[in-house]
This record gives sequence, structure tokens and C-alpha cells, in this order.
Amino acid sequence: MSLIGVHRFTARWAKLRNILALLVGCSALVAASTCPDQSLKPGNTISQFKELDSQAEAAMRQRRPTAAIHLYKKAICLFPNSARGFYGLGVAQLAARDFAGARVSFQTADRLQSTSPMPLIMQVRANFSLGDMTALKANLRDVSIRFPKDEQAHTALARFLAEKRLSVLALAEALRADKVSDGNPISRVQLAVLENMVGAYDDSIDNATSVEQHLALPNETRAAAAGIAGLSYESLGEPEQAIQYLRKAIKLDASRENSYLALADLYEQSQKYSDAVEVLKQARLQLGDSPTILLPLGADLIRAGQYMPGVQIIHNLLRQNPNIDQAYISLADAERRMRKTAEEVKALQGLERHNPRYPMLHLLIAQAMLRDAHPDYAGILRELSLAETSAPSDADVFYLRGKVLIALKRYREAISNLSRAAELRPTDVSTYYQLARLYRKLGNNDMAAKQFRKVRYIESAATK
Amino acid sequence: MLPGAGFAWGLTMRGAGLQNLAYPLRSVQGTVTPSRMFFVRDHFEPPKVSLETWSLRVEGRVQHSYALGFSDLVELPSRKLEAVLECAGNGANGSAVSNGVWEGVPISVLLATAHPASDASSVLLEGADRGHLLSDRPLLPYSQVVPMKKCLDPSSLVAYKLNDLALPKRNGFPARALLAGWYGMDSVKWLQRIVVLGPGDRDTVFEKSGMNREYNRLTRQNGHLRVARVSSVKVKSAIAWPSDASKIPAGRYSVWGFAWSGSAAIDSVLVTTNSGKRWDPATLSPHSPRYGWTRWSYPWNARPGEYNVMSRATDRNGNQQPLRRDPTRKDTYELDWCAPVHCTVG
Repeated sequence: MSLIGVHRFTARWAKLRNILALLVGCSALVAASTCPDQSLKPGNTISQFKELDSQAEAAMRQRRPTAAIHLYKKAICLFPNSARGFYGLGVAQLAARDFAGARVSFQTADRLQSTSPMPLIMQVRANFSLGDMTALKANLRDVSIRFPKDEQAHTALARFLAEKRLSVLALAEALRADKVSDGNPISRVQLAVLENMVGAYDDSIDNATSVEQHLALPNETRAAAAGIAGLSYESLGEPEQAIQYLRKAIKLDASRENSYLALADLYEQSQKYSDAVEVLKQARLQLGDSPTILLPLGADLIRAGQYMPGVQIIHNLLRQNPNIDQAYISLADAERRMRKTAEEVKALQGLERHNPRYPMLHLLIAQAMLRDAHPDYAGILRELSLAETSAPSDADVFYLRGKVLIALKRYREAISNLSRAAELRPTDVSTYYQLARLYRKLGNNDMAAKQFRKVRYIESAATK
Repeated sequence: MLPGAGFAWGLTMRGAGLQNLAYPLRSVQGTVTPSRMFFVRDHFEPPKVSLETWSLRVEGRVQHSYALGFSDLVELPSRKLEAVLECAGNGANGSAVSNGVWEGVPISVLLATAHPASDASSVLLEGADRGHLLSDRPLLPYSQVVPMKKCLDPSSLVAYKLNDLALPKRNGFPARALLAGWYGMDSVKWLQRIVVLGPGDRDTVFEKSGMNREYNRLTRQNGHLRVARVSSVKVKSAIAWPSDASKIPAGRYSVWGFAWSGSAAIDSVLVTTNSGKRWDPATLSPHSPRYGWTRWSYPWNARPGEYNVMSRATDRNGNQQPLRRDPTRKDTYELDWCAPVHCTVG
């Protein structure tokens, strides 16, 4: 729920109660000096308060929290014991990122109107923004003691905490909500999601399947539950069950993108790329061309050996969304498999234009260039220099440079680079093999024999 | 994964679901063991614990017995600390040891709510896993008894998070004890009961199950056998690379591993590549937590030959890892000596 959303929710909540009940007494909690307008004194009319309150609400709707703060402060001058005033002020302060101020306002609202959990819920938000986990936990304990049966409050907290990735605390609140919900399927699905998130897979499956099997529930709810059961089964290492539930989720609600993606991912993990392609094609048919579907579809088509349709999908995707790094990598992969080296290099250079910091990109480009029938050695060396700058201790850079220098007949430099590669990765056979061949070419048979001995030694050690 | 690595118990182990898992130390990239690679030593089959029904009871010699659920536990004030957990029977250079960042509620906080009696002297920690520890003993839950003083230490937790995630099921989900600085058996998994005991309380599940006969240090001196409970982790180091009986080509390498102690942070680590004729200081990682381990490394220009590589740690209290096993020891715990790693360089 956004802050504006919270504000609206609270406005509805407040209207349910008699506004007069919120404007208790007139003893000055706020010193007159803090009032922005000295003409406003306690005891003014309720209509003035209402006017300021609605102006403040309007300011919040217009995303002008500073103005709203000013108006709420004025309203509080009129009625210093107004929980609604302090609550509104807290929401506005939260929106204006005055988290410490917001906390104080919500604490005051809670003191003045202790029958609603909202000020406590909002304190949780303020304390989260302040990074004060101790106070946040104290708020949660307060909610559990004072509002143990308020399902809505626990659900709202669970949702907020999950959004903030405090999954264990979110689970705690979801458990509380479920306990008082009398089997509310939405609460139960939320609980299953969180249980799956923290690794309580058996609990997650129990809760999710209990909802999925409930035939009277809407298909969307059952589909969400089936999807969660599928993910939990996957995490437990039971792919057959996972596939069964994810298929069920798709059948129950064909509009849930996540179900297709999770199922395709399962097939990818077991290298069943054609099956993954079928699932993603079905998703595309139902949901249209979203990048989250097109990227894995293109990549899986390529992995399944259907290069041309895969390349076409990735090209189309990149035309619409040129910033998807993985699309360039998939494209390069396809071109490499089709032995189109120039196209492979072009794909990687495309990535370089959009994200020059992509890890080991220059090494990838150098490797691709070296596969060309007539390699541009000078260009490869330039790419390797760039690769070395970002990763000075990467054995691959020196190994590849050694191979290029051999091709350029710069043997001394090649030996130096290959030796450095061996130093960085002493157990790699291919480096010693290259060195051995080079020494033999140079007529240094003793050194060649020594390198071959190392190859044999490593291979014999590996087989033991 | 190394099934059974470093396993040195004399206990009766029964049940198809028992797990005994360890991963080579060389697979730890930084200083913290990833949760999925944490070692596991089960005495009994892992219990089926549901979050909805799980509860932790605090009782015994207290004014106010109570139980809390998972939600109650995780919403209490918590503490985060990095700590090594080592199996008391972990071999020298063994991998039944892991280092994690734990989060949980100090046991002292839970005890304070219960108001222990003034003569409370120890605490029984009981897990939800159960079985016959010894063949002649009844079916009982896993339990350990820990002195009150250790439980009141702020580093003793009821932990519910490991490395910022919920505890893995096999490591005690939803909550376990974590007695930082002590061997792993006292950090009871799947914790379900904390029972405050007085000096006269002797007939608990701890005694009935026969657990009081395990995890004891047995030393024979002058014909007398002395028995003492194994508790604080001895200062120790382990070589993660190279592995024992390895064959490597000549070259420049970095010998590396970890060092830890239950008493204090690590002060220094020495390394020898020639069976102890010469010891050189290793470089310690600047991150040296009180209860966690310290990563160390040592540059080695390995020339062809046969080598015995050893490491030796000293903690900031001056405790030094022994070069060999105490000959008076008659048990299989606290295997803390500097064991050589044999290496052939070709």
C-alpha cells in the first residue's frame, strides 16, 4: 500500500467513527509556539478543523507533503488532542521523509486513540525507515498484545514487512493473521508464500495444497496456491510434483505469468529446452509479447537448436528493449553455435555499447574474435588489454594472449604470458600443453618435455 | 560433500533419515559458510516441525512458566553474531565445522521473563528430535544440560536465522540454541523446551537418555580416570588447501585455511611446509571476530618433492594449538592438534 493509499485507508477508517470522538478535550499538548499560525488557538470550531483536515488531505493527494504538514500542524493547534490530526501529520511527515518526526506523531496519535492499530502500523513504517529494528519489533509486539484478533492489521503488517524483505517478521505476522482468519484462503496463500520464502517448504505445501484443493474457491486463488506448492516442491528437490502443480496453476489461471516462467525454469534446469519452449510459447499466446517471456523463449529456442526463430525473437526484443544484457549474451550464444563469428562479435559489441561494465565482456569479445577464420590479432590484443585492466589476475586473459602471441610469432612474449597463466592457475593442463608445444617449436626439447611431464602429472593426479 | 568426514562418535546412530554432512573447507569463498554448505550431524531423525504448532516452553525452577510461538520469538529483541559451530568430534583438519552469522533472542531474555529461582544452576535444552541414544535407553528427546552462567551470557541465543535467512530445516528450523564458543552438541537443534534446573535435579531426560555419558573428556593420569564435560571450543586451525594426499605441479601457491577458538579471537597462525622444522607466520584476514573464524593464507613456492604442511593457531588469550594429541586422552573429542597435510609436488 502506498503512503497515499494508507492515507485514504485511514481517512475511511476515521470516517467510520464519530469524528468528535477523535477530538478529545482541548488541553494544550502542543505548545502554542509550535503553531504555525498564532491566531489559531485551542477551542476554535470543529468546522475549522475539518476544513484544514480536508485541505491537508488534498495536499497529500497532490503529493505536496510539506504543505500537508503545515496544514495538519494548524489543525493540531485547534485541537491539540486530536488523534486524527497527529495521525495525518505523521503520514505527511513520512511522505516528506521526516521519519523521526513521523514516529513521534504516530506515537502521540496512538496515545490519544489507543483503540485502533493504525498508528502502531504506521510506527512500524517509520521505524523501518529509521532502521530501528528494536523499536519496530516493539511495535509488532504491541500490535500482537493489543490487537491479537485483528486479521487486517496482521495481514497489512505481513505485506509491508514482506515488501521490505523482512521475511521472517512477515511470516510471524502472516502466522498471526492466519490464526485469527478462520481459514481465509487469501491469508493462507500469503502465509504459504512466506513459508516458501523462508524455507519452511513442508508447511508451505500443506497450506498451499489445502487452498488449491478447495473447489469452491475462485480459480485465481487456487492457481496462486498451486503455484506456491509447485515452487516448494521444487525447493524440496521433487521436480515431478513441482511440474504437476505448476501445470495445475496454469490450467486454473492461464493469465499468471509466474507459473509459466517457473515451469519453464524447471525444464531448463533439467536441460529439457524443447519442453521449456512449449511452455513459453503457450505463455506468449496467452499473455502477449512481454520481455520476461520473450527473453527465456529466445534463449531456450537457441539452446534447443532452433537458432533462427530464437535469434529473431531476441532481435525483436532488443529493438524494443535495448538494455537487456542477457539478450545480447543469448544472441552471441546463438551466433557462436551457428559459427557466425562476425555476428557473435557484433552481438557482444552491442552489449558493450549498452553496458560497458558487463563482467569479463572484453574477454568474451576476444574469445569470439579468435574463433574467426582470419582473426584480427591486433584487435584481440586490444580487447585483452582492456580485460586485464578490469581483472588483472584472470588466468584466461594471459592464456588467450599467449595463444595470440604464438600466432603472431612473438614467442618470448607468449612464453611469458602462458607462464603467468600457469602461475595463476597451476592445475590447468591446457596452459602447460601450449607451453610444451611452443618450446618444441623453439627447439627447446628439455623445457618441452618438462611441460609435458606436468601435463601427465596433473592428469594422473586427477584420475586418482 | 563429504559424507562422514571427520565423524568420530561412539554413539548408537539409528534411523534412515539421519544426516551426516560436511563440505570441504576449500569451497568456502569468503569467511562465512553458505547456509546450504553448513555441516550437519544428527543424533536422531529430523523431526517434522510445523510453524503453526511449534512452541518453545520455558519452565522448571521458575516463577512463571510460559510458552512462545514462532511469531512471539522472532518479534522479541534479538542479537546478531558471527560464530563458528564445530562438532566436538570433528577431526584435525576435518570439515565438520562451519562459520555463520546467527540471529536470535538471547537465552537470558527468555529466562528473565520466567524469573528463575535463586538456586537455579543449569538449564536443560531439549530438541524435538527423539530416539534411543543408547541401545539400552528409552525413546527420549535429544537434550543437553548447560550451566546457567553460559546461558546468561549474551552470546547464547535461541537462533532463528542463519546468514540472514531462516534456519535451514536440517540445521534446526524453526529455532535452535546457539552457544557461541562451545562445541556444537550443546547448540540443540529444533529447540522445544528450556528447563531451568537446580543443583539437586538429576533425573532429567539428559540422564535418562544416557546423554550424560557422552561428550565427556576422559583423561587417565596416574591410573585415575578423570571425567569432565566437553564445552568451550579449543583453539584450532585447519588447512583448506591443499588437501591431504594431493598431487600438484610445481608452482606458486597460496596455502590457506581457517582458525578459530572458543576463548578469544585468533591472534596468529604459523605454517610449516617441512613437517615443523621451520614455522612462518601466515597472513590473517583483517576480519577476526570474537566467536567466528579467521581466514589465513601463506604463500608457498612449491618445488618438486614430498611435503607435510601444517598450521598452528594461537588465540588472543595465549592459548596455542597443540602439536600432538594429549596422550592421556581416552575419548574422541576435541581433536585439536596440528595434523599434517601430505602433499606431493611434481
